[in-house]
Amino acid sequence: MTALMEARGLTRILPGEPPVTLVQDAGLTVEKGSFTAIVGPSGCGKSSLLYLLGLIDRPSAGTLLIDGKDVTPLDGDQRAQLRLEQIGFVFQFHFLLPEFTALQNVLLPMRKLGRLSKAAARDRALQLLDGVGLREKADKTPDKMSGGERQRVAIARALADDPAIVLGDEPTGNLDSKNSERVIQIFRMLARDQGRAVLCVTHDMDVAAAADVRISMLDGRIIGVERQNGAG
Amino acid sequence: MSGSPLLLLDIAFRHLSGRRRQTIVAVSGVAIGVGFFLAVSALMIGSQRDFVTTLIDAAPHIIISDELRSPPPQPGIRAFPEGAVKLRGYKVRNEVRGLKDWLEILRAANNMPGVIGSPSLTGGVTLRVGGREEPLAIVGIEPEIETKISNIEDKLRTGELRDLERTQGGLIIGEELAERLGIGKGDIVGATSASGGTRSLRIVALFKRGQTQIGASTGYLLLREAQSMLGRPFIINRIGLRLTDPYQAEQIAAKLEKRFSYKAESWQERSSDFLSLLLTRNVIMYSVVSAILLVASFGIYTVVSNSVADKRRDIAIMRSMGFSLLDLQLIFVCEGLALALVGIGFGWLLGFGLMNILGSVEFSVGGESEYLPLDRGSTQYLIAGAASLFAGIIAAWLPARKAAQVDPVDILRGAA
Repeated sequence: MTALMEARGLTRILPGEPPVTLVQDAGLTVEKGSFTAIVGPSGCGKSSLLYLLGLIDRPSAGTLLIDGKDVTPLDGDQRAQLRLEQIGFVFQFHFLLPEFTALQNVLLPMRKLGRLSKAAARDRALQLLDGVGLREKADKTPDKMSGGERQRVAIARALADDPAIVLGDEPTGNLDSKNSERVIQIFRMLARDQGRAVLCVTHDMDVAAAADVRISMLDGRIIGVERQNGAG
Repeated sequence: MSGSPLLLLDIAFRHLSGRRRQTIVAVSGVAIGVGFFLAVSALMIGSQRDFVTTLIDAAPHIIISDELRSPPPQPGIRAFPEGAVKLRGYKVRNEVRGLKDWLEILRAANNMPGVIGSPSLTGGVTLRVGGREEPLAIVGIEPEIETKISNIEDKLRTGELRDLERTQGGLIIGEELAERLGIGKGDIVGATSASGGTRSLRIVALFKRGQTQIGASTGYLLLREAQSMLGRPFIINRIGLRLTDPYQAEQIAAKLEKRFSYKAESWQERSSDFLSLLLTRNVIMYSVVSAILLVASFGIYTVVSNSVADKRRDIAIMRSMGFSLLDLQLIFVCEGLALALVGIGFGWLLGFGLMNILGSVEFSVGGESEYLPLDRGSTQYLIAGAASLFAGIIAAWLPARKAAQVDPVDILRGAA
């Protein structure tokens, strides 16, 4: 397996009096086709680390390589373009745009990227919705869907531009066990069958148990990396 | 990177359709602003044009008179321009008043395209009728040429200008003066000039009353009669010019004055006090109307500002998805732009309607029914549209900048 994402000494300090250290000297590698879970108590900095890895936030120190390329010096627009092409996000809350139907929400990143024709994009969006079992809900707006359904639409949207990296921030945090199980299955499939790098911040022991790699954090530092489920 | 303007527009329209009531208020604000801008400016410009036309046609467009803007140098100074000693008390040369080489001036003027000149001699006489005396400013004219350069023919109550040629010693005066002297058309009146000559003149026509531009005590007679009566044969002291395009008067006047050094007064110079009044009026109108347009754009500010505030979560997720800061600002600027454009469209319709209503208002002046003078030119539509668009973009851009200041980390973390 090859390292798709590599962090070296990532540090994020919020300026202020006194400064708050969110992430301290974090180093990790994420491989293609692997499912990684980051676990730790609330406020240990795992979400902050995820935002750094997802290029939403900028590190105070350290470097981040994606596909072997240092992305830390990139400007805002370049980072936005990289997010668009390489990274898909799934949050605890679905964050679907309320004015758009499920299908249109999934189409958004594709229209933004503009690589597929209208018809091809539509086909792909329907296929993605099919993949999360929601093809028949394609024309529903988010307010007409259940929490689990919305989260699955959000996953379909995260996959719209075929990202190499899928990042989850407590993706099952708001779901019941049945829906959680479904999301976990989808995530495993994304990693094992589709060869994407999946990285989830989670409190959910089921998610942590399903991952190939489990990274533990405490007080902004990585305190342990274990491989499990026969990975590596 | 904004590779997808249609997508941004789509998002903007969906935001607006989610807040229908505010959208309607903002659009009506712009529409009312634009509509009233059009109605008011049509009225102001129309009435101004009406007024200026009256000003232009009140007298010849340019009057060349035998005055000089600065006194001519005296012979002593002309002979010794750099003289170290200042001479005083030498005999001052008396110049004969009148336009020298007036034929030359007239020819030069008539050779200019779209210019017709008419020579005249002005002076003062006293009218005497049965012990009553009235001063009269007389203008000696060539009726045939004068009718080409002025509209005094239209201002006659009875008779016509050519009657001056048909009657020996014919004179035209105003109705008021005739009333004061107790005379009418066909009556004979005695006239005495400053040089002492007295002769009898016959009234051949009368001006309508209330012609302020002619003056209550001005009389017209034949040029050669005026010349002999004032004792100034072959002298001309005034040339009136009429132009096809009155707005060239200033340039042509300047050209003639430069060439012949006699004072050439354009109608603009003559009525500069009125014109500066009009300028003030325009400044007032445009400030009031711009304020209306500005206030109208506040509605756009409110809508866009609320939209940005409500959509912070959407902004955060779009940022995480890969929308750039510019994309997000454009979405909100587009919202303002759409409001402004729709508002301008309705405003144009409203303005058009208001103009039609104003244009149908009939009122009577001196027994004649008239309509409000309106300017229905397309320039006003363009100005109103451009100004509203500009105000709208600014009103949208100010809150749209806030969309770029939304920190997705704060939102995503806060929601989690």
